Amino acid sequence: MSFSVRRIRGEATAELRSFLRKPAAVFFTFVFPAILVALFAAVVGAGGGFFEEPQGYYLPGYLAFVILLTPLSRLSSTVARGRDHRRFEKLATTPLTRIEWLTAHVLVNGVLIVGASVLIAGLLITVGGASLTVSFADVPVVILGVVLGVAAFCGVGALIGAAVSSEDGAIAVSNGVGFPMLFLADTFVAPETLGVGAPVVEVLPLTYFSRAVRGATFTGEPTAGALVILAVFAVLLFGLGAYFLPWQD
Amino acid sequence: MQVEADDVHKSYGDTVALNGVSLSVKEGEVFALVGPNGAGKTTLVRCLTGTTRPTSGEARLMGETPEKTDKKTVSVLPQEFSPPERLKPEELVEYYASLYPAEATRGADSLVEEMGLGSSRETRYADLSGGQKSRLKVAVSLVNDPDVIFLDEPTTGIDPEGREDIWGVIESLADGGTTVFLTTHYMREVERLANRVALIDEGEIAVIGDTEEVVREHAGEPRLVVRTVGSVEDALDALEDGRANTEDGALVFEGVLVDGIGETLDTLEDAGVEYDEVRWSEPGLEEAYLRLTEEEVHE
Repeated sequence: MSFSVRRIRGEATAELRSFLRKPAAVFFTFVFPAILVALFAAVVGAGGGFFEEPQGYYLPGYLAFVILLTPLSRLSSTVARGRDHRRFEKLATTPLTRIEWLTAHVLVNGVLIVGASVLIAGLLITVGGASLTVSFADVPVVILGVVLGVAAFCGVGALIGAAVSSEDGAIAVSNGVGFPMLFLADTFVAPETLGVGAPVVEVLPLTYFSRAVRGATFTGEPTAGALVILAVFAVLLFGLGAYFLPWQD
Repeated sequence: MQVEADDVHKSYGDTVALNGVSLSVKEGEVFALVGPNGAGKTTLVRCLTGTTRPTSGEARLMGETPEKTDKKTVSVLPQEFSPPERLKPEELVEYYASLYPAEATRGADSLVEEMGLGSSRETRYADLSGGQKSRLKVAVSLVNDPDVIFLDEPTTGIDPEGREDIWGVIESLADGGTTVFLTTHYMREVERLANRVALIDEGEIAVIGDTEEVVREHAGEPRLVVRTVGSVEDALDALEDGRANTEDGALVFEGVLVDGIGETLDTLEDAGVEYDEVRWSEPGLEEAYLRLTEEEVHE
């Protein structure tokens, strides 16, 4: 199996240029989450209801939100559009492989989400007054968690884009998958408050992203177990996503 | 052989897209595949390029199965292909070139210039005209300087000037020894570019051969149409030799070659037939195509 840095760099450069030239994509990755953080910071600051934990508790939730919005939703629409526009048919006849294609998109999304994470954490501290307990040793853990989360949800996005017949349908399905997960994955809502829905929490990849990030930034709990499970999800979903890319009809 | 299909069948559920297609294309040949919409042209291109697998039969590209062919030496421009729309011409060419080894690619700058897109370097793909988009799509298909290129309806929907530009590119590819597999709806395009042509209809090859040979055998005879001043029936009676027919109020002489026009008109004058309009036409591939597809429909 060939693996070419040149091809991955070429695909990643084209994708990054496309992203930066689409104002809606930039808005939903950076500006919209910032607005959300500011609004939620006010709600959490007021206390009560679901939001009774301190500000820092919700950082994984905000990061999960951008992961679901950009790698999951955007990749599903990219794959569906690529199939409609016969881009995969063209790529399939070049030396580029499916794994290289998805790797390039994980890299681009990883860089974007790490950037958005820094912005969100900064806003949470400055606007929300959150106290995060991040040491230098924790930074690689958070970055690894973000990259593994991005890889897992790029895989899910690729699967949805390959399975659904239209771009609009792919966005609808990815939102349908992502939105419930946002509240079921130990992000904004503690699992013990979910009642009968609680067992679902343990089978969601986002749960382990959330636990790893929260352990590294807020509770100080060990993160290795969550990261290992997240890595297993990432490898599995990345592999499935790459395999089912519409390289052939 | 550079491209071969041997008894290729392809079905999608109950729908038969290809029903035993066999053909071969030699090195350096420009081969055209024509046929009505839904006849199986694109499915055949997909089988030959490995983006779909035949249900049965064998497709071979440069002596290998399409999946095993060295992709550096082949290029495909799929029908209705649209590249990332926010990239500029040079960026798009660089992008597709980056998917091949550096030593196997052509410079983006010269390719953009060669395709007449030099003045639109700063324009994103989405904002280019239809003709410019088509030329750019052909440009990205040339980045690896392929030995075999598949062009699936490269000129559909573009203006005559843009079409002319693309024809020029295909001619220079052919001059350089590239094997070109072209699908198209434009018979003029085939007549101008292709050494050989195949007509596919309902998933089967109806006819295949040298372009000129197909025209000769299937297009029918040259025709001389003469519009008479007086009654066409009187003119027909006056001729008495049974060579002419009538059609739409005019005399029609079938099988009159260009050097026989004068003789035919002399015959008319000798018979006292006055005329005010003469039209001679030599049927081409368009007529052959129409006749062949009509025959298929009637069968």
